[in-house]
Amino acid sequence: MLVPLTYARPVHWGEHGTKPALIKYIFRRILLLIPILLGVTVIVFGIMFLTPGDAAILMLGENAPQAELEALRERLGLNEPAYVQYGLWLSRAVQLDFGRSIRSGRPVTGEITARLPATIELALLATLLSIVIGVPLGVLSATRPNTAVDHSATVLAFGGLAMPVFWQGLIMILLFALVLDWLPPSGKLGGWQYYVLPTITLGTSAIAAITRMTRATMLETLSQDYVRTARSKGVRERSITYRHALRNAMIPIVTVIGLQFGALLSGAVITETIFSWPGIGRLAIDAIRSKDFPVVQGVVMFFALMYAVVNLLTDILYAYLDPRLKTRYS
Amino acid sequence: MRKVLLLIAAAAFAFGGAHAFTLTVAQGSDIVSLSPHNTNDQPSARVMRQIYDTLVVQTEELELVPGLAESWNQVDDVTWDFAIRPGVMFHNGDPLTASDVAFTLNRLRDPATGAPAAFLVGFISSVEAVDDMTVRIVTNGPFVPMLSHLAHTATSILNERAVTEAGEDYGTAVVVGTGPFRFVSWEVASQVILERNDDWWGGDVGPERVVFRAIVEGTVRAIELEAGAIDIAYALEPRDALRARTNADLTMAEIETLTTSYIGFNAQKAPFDDVRVRQAINHAVDAETIVDVLLEGFGFPATSPISSQVFGSNPDLEAYDFDPERARQLLADAGLAGGFSTTLWTNDNPVRIQIAEIVQAQLADIGINVDVQVLEWSTYLADTAAGAHDMFILGWVTVTADADYGLYALFHSSNFGSAGNRTFWSSDRLDELLDLGRRTVDQDERLAIYYEAQEIINAEAPWIFLNTSIEANATRANVTGFVPHPAGHHRLYNVQKN
Repeated sequence: MLVPLTYARPVHWGEHGTKPALIKYIFRRILLLIPILLGVTVIVFGIMFLTPGDAAILMLGENAPQAELEALRERLGLNEPAYVQYGLWLSRAVQLDFGRSIRSGRPVTGEITARLPATIELALLATLLSIVIGVPLGVLSATRPNTAVDHSATVLAFGGLAMPVFWQGLIMILLFALVLDWLPPSGKLGGWQYYVLPTITLGTSAIAAITRMTRATMLETLSQDYVRTARSKGVRERSITYRHALRNAMIPIVTVIGLQFGALLSGAVITETIFSWPGIGRLAIDAIRSKDFPVVQGVVMFFALMYAVVNLLTDILYAYLDPRLKTRYS
Repeated sequence: MRKVLLLIAAAAFAFGGAHAFTLTVAQGSDIVSLSPHNTNDQPSARVMRQIYDTLVVQTEELELVPGLAESWNQVDDVTWDFAIRPGVMFHNGDPLTASDVAFTLNRLRDPATGAPAAFLVGFISSVEAVDDMTVRIVTNGPFVPMLSHLAHTATSILNERAVTEAGEDYGTAVVVGTGPFRFVSWEVASQVILERNDDWWGGDVGPERVVFRAIVEGTVRAIELEAGAIDIAYALEPRDALRARTNADLTMAEIETLTTSYIGFNAQKAPFDDVRVRQAINHAVDAETIVDVLLEGFGFPATSPISSQVFGSNPDLEAYDFDPERARQLLADAGLAGGFSTTLWTNDNPVRIQIAEIVQAQLADIGINVDVQVLEWSTYLADTAAGAHDMFILGWVTVTADADYGLYALFHSSNFGSAGNRTFWSSDRLDELLDLGRRTVDQDERLAIYYEAQEIINAEAPWIFLNTSIEANATRANVTGFVPHPAGHHRLYNVQKN
């Protein structure tokens, strides 16, 4: 993923290129989303279709009278061939109608939107935390390569990547809630205290990824000619690091941040379970456990959509940051 | 004026002093709905038990006592009249009437409602309000166990006006009962908040507020209790429960549940049609090991299909002792000295898969070669109902805590297949006893009937009787008055916090 970037000159954020070019680019990227999401619908529907078991029996229970089962199959279109069922399902799905939960009987879309804010809050906080810690740590590492600082940051980053989330979460609960009694163990019952442990747990792997990426791209840019030129002109080291090197290094870092945010949105399943966080990850786990197919389909579609949108926004930001991309699309 | 002020102060002291506390209870899942007609899951039932009342109350000792029905009287074999308790008010201010009761039970059994717990009132042929305070229930055939069915949370009595007016919102935003606590709010996947109903017909209510939290991770649930963030934790996992037992800040409230796990034979298929083979396998399987290894001791080897907490359970039965020698002898008597090969089905439940593997190893000892096959749940149910299996693992919860519920569906010859009898084993005498148990009013006679029924089942061994389980609840040491109910929906109105 890390493409070595060479720059002829530093990018100045003031040069935005022409607006229509950017809009055209955004439009093209949005159009590209359609086949991607269609592909996801085929997979999501296919998995449900291929999974053994009768959806009507799952919904009504195994002791339901035959006549009722037949009526439900008819109503849900379960007697139709696969492509007709897919068409029916898709036509509702594009209107964000994924049917009703088998378990609760409530509309799937409502169940998802009720859980969405908690997940987004946590993902945003974790991303923010990972930027605030990861970027400076990466810069520190890159500007002092092969020193004790660099090695410590590397150990921390790999430790963060290697640590299983459930283990880290439980250990943090044990330490900060039970032993030190500083923070509540779990839940989201109002108050900032409830956010601390889940945010750190969720953000740890993102901190690690961003630290490593920042270090690598900073090392790359710091060895560029324009940095050497700046140094020879007597520009202060601090200014070189932040104005010349970091700005140019930001492009791949932004990509990683975007990807991490997407992953945090859809990947908070374990964190949400450990901390009893009322988000979408837990909804997904509950739905899978109780074989609540409509909810599973809805959540997976939703994850895919969020991932795609976050990627789109990242690419747009990327184009904004890197003028060469704009010219390619204009 | 001064007198009034004094009275107010005294009242404030009485209620505000000793009673003003919030009780926080944690369970492993969020509720699904607070309408008993929308769901039949345990976490929801545990909350509904606090909000609603039932016609009959089943005490923690499994005694059936009057609830919203002040009394009942059997008119004939199939007709029962229930006198509604006068002066009971719903949380919305409506008085309880016989028509609310008839509305509730008719709505529950109406196929259009699609209630998951409708099966509990399958015995009803008709329900009607005879007058304002009398409800008449007519059953399909004699059905004495009905009283335990009418004590189940699923048959909680609803307010007709509230249910009709709320429509789809009933059970989530609008919840109206007659119980010791009224519904305040539900934060999805997080907590349900209830407050004390000072006008409860049943007497004083301890906690001013009850908060039910959903804490999914078993270990975190235990830590929350150890840290004092919650007052009661339901159903701790064995490892956490072992730790809690040694913690002086906590009090255990363990109770044997109504669940029995078992391995069923296909008794119409050779060699399981031979009782000696079924007995041999029971002697070859060490249920004690399964309880120790998989449940860390939180269970008991089963002696019959129903746990000791179920009304009618026969206390004199003994579990098959672990005796491979005797097992080999029985197999030899059945002409299978060289053993045989068979299959054991399970669904993809991790505990069941482990049980299957233990049983596989133990049966290999007596020459039975078992192939364990893991099936998807609905296929599993359909194929065992069709009799395509040799052996299968399942569990049964006798939700009404009455022997009829635990035996009739599983062993009566009229229930072969998906109705519950997946062993396809029956006996004329057992059929007779199970039918008799449904029409015998006298409790001692009923007990004798079910004792004999279990003796037959134990001897004929259509199952490998595996184990019952213990629900390990725990409270903070300053919590008193918490008495667990074997059905798992513990009543909280008597709980105090010092």
